[in-house]
This record gives sequence, structure tokens and C-alpha cells, in this order.
Amino acid sequence: MLAAAAKKPRTLTTNAADSEPNTMKDAFAKYASYLNDLNEKRERVVKASRDITMNSKKVIFQVHRISKHNKEEVLEKAEKDLAAVMDQHISRLVKELQGTDFWKLRRAYSPGVQEYVEAATLCNFCKNGTLLDLDEINASLRVLSDSTVEPLQINVLDYLLGIADLTGELMRLAIGRISDGELEFAQKICRFVREIYRELTLIAPKMDDSYDMKTKMDVMLQSVIKVENACFSVHVRGSEYIPFLGSEDASFSLLGVPDDE
Amino acid sequence: MKSAFRSAICATLTFSLRSLNPTPHRTSLILLPRYVVCFAGKPSPFTSMATGESGSVAPPSPTVHTLEKQFEEFRHQLDDSGSLRERIRSVALEIESANRLMQSSLLLIHQSRPVPEVLEKAKGQIVVLRELFSKLAEIIRECPGQYYRYHGDWRTETQTVVSLLAFMHWLETESLLLHAEAEEKLGLNPMEFGLDTEDYLIGICFMSNDLPRYVVNQVTAGDYDCPRKVLKFLTDLHSAFRMLNLRNDFLRKKFDGMKYDLRKVEEVQYDVKIRGLATNGKSKGEQGD
Repeated sequence: MLAAAAKKPRTLTTNAADSEPNTMKDAFAKYASYLNDLNEKRERVVKASRDITMNSKKVIFQVHRISKHNKEEVLEKAEKDLAAVMDQHISRLVKELQGTDFWKLRRAYSPGVQEYVEAATLCNFCKNGTLLDLDEINASLRVLSDSTVEPLQINVLDYLLGIADLTGELMRLAIGRISDGELEFAQKICRFVREIYRELTLIAPKMDDSYDMKTKMDVMLQSVIKVENACFSVHVRGSEYIPFLGSEDASFSLLGVPDDE
Repeated sequence: MKSAFRSAICATLTFSLRSLNPTPHRTSLILLPRYVVCFAGKPSPFTSMATGESGSVAPPSPTVHTLEKQFEEFRHQLDDSGSLRERIRSVALEIESANRLMQSSLLLIHQSRPVPEVLEKAKGQIVVLRELFSKLAEIIRECPGQYYRYHGDWRTETQTVVSLLAFMHWLETESLLLHAEAEEKLGLNPMEFGLDTEDYLIGICFMSNDLPRYVVNQVTAGDYDCPRKVLKFLTDLHSAFRMLNLRNDFLRKKFDGMKYDLRKVEEVQYDVKIRGLATNGKSKGEQGD
């Protein structure tokens, strides 16, 4: 009928389709092995990332054990543990993230790398009072790769996200230091955190997926405010804190006496 | 009082100066009690040090400078990648509009216009798309290895491209447009700027979504052999997809949707067959399915 005329020119090509299931199957076998490899790789990266996170967290906890008198030993141990995180776990990422995989799998390793940045910068701040910059971290990662592989270099985004988390840890550290009587240290943290927040406000909107960073900025502001309020409390009620300072330093006895007039 | 305050600032300043020195310094902690003296000894709430303290009064410490410098560097880097992204997005928009043109010409197929005529018009956009993808490749060449950093910006457009090309390819040959063929059609060099395999597979799933409508309209227009052909193709495609180990992601969701396309086409085929509309000499040999 009418239909027969309409379909005839097309049915002529059906012969070509007969061989198709095989080429299709062959092609899909290729896609399947591509996907399998990719998923296995992703799984390995996720595992490494989780180990990095877990062990970096331990380093951070170690740093929080700091007090007036054990600073050196605490930081020494923290740094040793941090180096171990790099040697044992970050090294696992190097081979996996060659070429375009570095960006393709970013979501798989990003949490771990952020946590590592957080731990490394926290250690460094306690030791040197400065912000460990990205180039320094990346320079330290170079030892993980020989000449046959590209070195793993942390990207700006993960670094900044790690820095954003750092402020939360610094807030805890500041509160701890205040209750331990290290007011100067707390003040220093306050200035530092404030400066980081200020710098990041300019950068946050420019970041690739700025939504993540936006929430972190809100949290960060809360941390900054907490530190400021703590410093404020010590300042306003400064003298009330003296009995709790527990310092053997004689000069503290002068504190109750106003030095003007 | 004021001088005491100053000396405190001095103390902090030397402290920060020292802190540039990477060697640990115990001495700095010794300064602490002195600072506290003037700090706690000045309880005046008017010039609260806790809120307006040295950071804003004293010149910024060297630490702040290095910090500023690093962050400025980041800002430049991010500005650069931001403008790169802008360029990518504008190309992606162009791809999208080329897609629309191609799709609108291709939609005439549902109004049972002759296939060659429809294809010819739709194919006109392939040249445009090739051009646009080479533009994308050129932009990505500026940042080697960062294909996947910006991938999200052309992903959905590319998936649509694949689905349209695959549909056209099927109309022409009744076979599946393979990944390598799709790359070739778009003039992509897989070594440099390839078609992501997952994007390709998602595009194929999109194409499968279009087939039930095509079948329905073809049958309405009197082409009773069409359901059989589409059903065979979709069955093969579905079983090929089942070879893949999918993660719980978008592709998996699209693949799960494919069975509804298959069912719809089966229903049409059933309707046609049970009414004896599909009986003709040409398809007898393959009636087994």
C-alpha cells in the first residue's frame, strides 16, 4: 500500500545492520573496560584520599595537644606524622593522577588533599607563625616522584579550601591557648585568621565551584568572630583571668595593679 | 599608658619579624608576660584592644605582606582561569544554539518528511559544530591537562550533540554511531581533545529516548515496518549497555530509563503485529524476534 512505497528506500540498507550487533558488542566491550579501569582507579584514589584525611586529622589532633611547655616535642611529633602521611598515602596518588586524570578525579582526592593542607599549614603556623604557601607544599611533594612521572602538585583550589578549614582549627587552638594563659599566641592567631578571612573574601567568588567555598566562608567568619570574642573577653575581663593563668612567672603579680596613675 | 601600648606593639612586631626566621624561637614566648602586663592593666573599654588591636593600628607585619603576595598571585591565577571559562562558556552557548537548529530540522522526521531531505538540512549544522569544537580544543590547548577542569561547561551540550548525531546516523544506516565515529564526525583528535566516553554513552541514552516517539509517528504515517527495525536496534543496544559496570551516577540513571523506551517500542510493535499490519514479504525472514 502507501506504506510500502514510503519504507522501501530505507529497508535497502538493512543488510548493513546485520553485522552490527558484533561491532556494537565489540565497541561496548571497549567502553566497558574503559569504565572498569576508570572506576577501579577512582576507587583507589578515594581510598588513598580517605587514608590521607584520617591520618591528617590525627596530626591536627596532635597539634591541639600543644601547651606552653611541650611545644617543641608536640610539633616534632606532628611533623613526623605529617611526613608519614605524605610518604605513605599521598605517594599513592602520584601514579594515579597523571595527565588529565588529575582534574578528572579531583572530586575523588580533593577531601584528602584539603585535609592534608590543613594539617600542614596548622603545623607550620604553630612552628613559624606564618602561612605555609602552596609553592612550599608542592616543593615538598616533589620528592614523591622520580623523573618518569609528573610530580603531583596540589592545585590552588584544594589549597584554598584547605586554608578555609584551617581557620576552624586555629579557632579551636586559640580558645585552648587562652584557657592555658597564652594570650599573646591567641592574639597572634586572631590577627592571622582575620587576615586569611580578609584575603579569601576577594578570592572565594573566583573559585571554580564557588558554592563549596561560600559555605566555608560563612563558617570561617564564625570562627573569626569566636576568636575575636574570646580575645575581647580576656581583654575586658583581663584581670579576672590571672588566677587561672597558673604561671610561675613573677611578673604576673603586677597584673592586678593598674599601671597608669 | 600609650607608651606601654606601643611597646606591646613593638613586642608583637619583633615577634612577627622573628617568625620569618624558620628556626624555632623560644625567646618569643618570654615576651609574652610583658605584653600581658600592659594588656590586662588597661581595662578601659573605650579603646578595646580586642577589637581594634595592633593589626589595624600597627603597620602590617611582614607575615601579612607575604600572605598578601601569595593571595594576589592566586587571584591572578583564578582570574585567568575564570576568563578562560568565560570563553569556553560562550563557545558552549554557540554549540547549544547549533544543536537547537539541528534538532529543529531533525524534528521534521516526526512529520514524516522524507529522510534524506531531513538529514540534509540537519547535516548543515555539523560543519558549524566541527568549527565550534575545534574552537574549544584550541582554548583547552592553552591549559594542557586541564580538559576535565572545564569539562562541566560543555558536557551537556556535547551529550546532546552525540544524541542528535547518533539519531541521524541511525536514520541513515540503522546502525549505532560508535564513539570513534562520533569523534570523527566532530573532527576531534582524541589525543588532544577527545569525546569523553561517558558523555558519548549518555548521548546514546538520550537518543534512545527519542526513538519511541519516532516509532509512534512512523506507524501513524503508515510505516509498519519501523517498529520492528527500531525494536531490533534498541534490543541490541540495551543488551550492549548491560555489558557495562555502571556506577550509581547519571549514566546509570539514563540507562535505567532505556528500558522504558524499549517497552514503549515493544508495545507499538505488538499493536502493529496483532492487527496484521506488519505482515509483508520484506520482513518475513526476520520475523523471529
